[in-house]
Amino acid sequence: MAAQTGRTTQKWVSFYVKDSGGTLRNIPVDSINGVGLTYDEVELTAFTDAIKGVLPAHPDCTITITGPFDTTALTGSHTVLSGIVGGTTPLSLDVRVGIRHDWESGEPQFGITSSATNGFLCTEYQVDVNAGKYSAKFRLAPGSAAPAWGTTAET
Amino acid sequence: MPRTNNKWTRVYIGGYDLSGNARQIGPLALTYDEADMTTLADEVKCVLPAHAQVSLGTLNAVLDNSTSGIHTVLSSPGQMQCVMVAIGMAAEPAQGNPVFVGEFEQSGYNSEQSGGVYVSAPFESSSVRGNVVEYENPFGVLLRPKTATTATNNATGVDDYGAATSFGGYMTYQVFAGNGTATIKVQHASTNTDASFADLSGCTTGVINCSTPSAGCIATTLRTTTVNRYIRWQIVFGTATSVTFALGFHRALR
Repeated sequence: MAAQTGRTTQKWVSFYVKDSGGTLRNIPVDSINGVGLTYDEVELTAFTDAIKGVLPAHPDCTITITGPFDTTALTGSHTVLSGIVGGTTPLSLDVRVGIRHDWESGEPQFGITSSATNGFLCTEYQVDVNAGKYSAKFRLAPGSAAPAWGTTAET
Repeated sequence: MPRTNNKWTRVYIGGYDLSGNARQIGPLALTYDEADMTTLADEVKCVLPAHAQVSLGTLNAVLDNSTSGIHTVLSSPGQMQCVMVAIGMAAEPAQGNPVFVGEFEQSGYNSEQSGGVYVSAPFESSSVRGNVVEYENPFGVLLRPKTATTATNNATGVDDYGAATSFGGYMTYQVFAGNGTATIKVQHASTNTDASFADLSGCTTGVINCSTPSAGCIATTLRTTTVNRYIRWQIVFGTATSVTFALGFHRALR
């Protein structure tokens, strides 16, 4: 099926991140927050200005996910996240938004393809055994390029 | 079954199985301080992970003052406790299941009444008194679920990572009962056959008295010890003929 346009639901959103071996994995999630860039706004208003004014400075991107604790070989949330938390090797990350079907090239995605200097780091992994769920946090590696919205899968 | 719920979680502390008292525990957390590394020329804000904070959260339970009950085991806080949370995957914990282990300072023990009489014991921080403070990852693999053991292990092992590593690791044990002395240890192998397994350097309890509940974390000899792909539990009986224990292993990945 060709890429579609229009509206969609969370049923078609998927989360990919590289595992400790460098392979991009689609892990189970039930929430993804922080998808996008948020800029610091430096206040530069002078007394004589009629209205307050700012300039954008550095953007930030902190992505948090939650989902079912899952030990499936290779693609389980625990399988992938327990191996990358605390690591300093930049990771590819890709949030794919399928438009009323499984994501296809041409539909929205947000993320970055990793290199020696570009990519995300996993800085937190928590397991709530009472709920059978996990949470994890991703921040960008030092010197990384900014992730961006696009329509082509990260690798 | 790759997913689970709290019905299959088991909590072991200091050689006592408190699963029959526990009602809730967690969150089981590994959180890194984020050192801001952003420079003027950077395109986007960035961080590096610094120190890890390992937390077990709070154990909530029903008050039980029987010999092996939570009131007997945990009513004197201010001590380090070796805690193992075995996460069964929609069944009783089994070999290969995830396990969360640490040496935590128990910072309290409080009772509350709400119909029943309940207690809570917070374990928010790792202890500097622990044996494995150089290892940061509390998530490991269960090599031996809590089982009465009467024979040495000739079975194949667990492929917990898919490859050998060269950063050491640590074993975690909980001895619940026994009738004498024994040595509990971890073995590793490059091929998953009985004859291939050999002792993993450093990961042994030595001879211990299994008649008394005990628990601990024991690291490989070196932080750079090679851990082969397959790992398994092993026991050498001294005067004991039966030992009930659980064993986990935590492979360091960096």
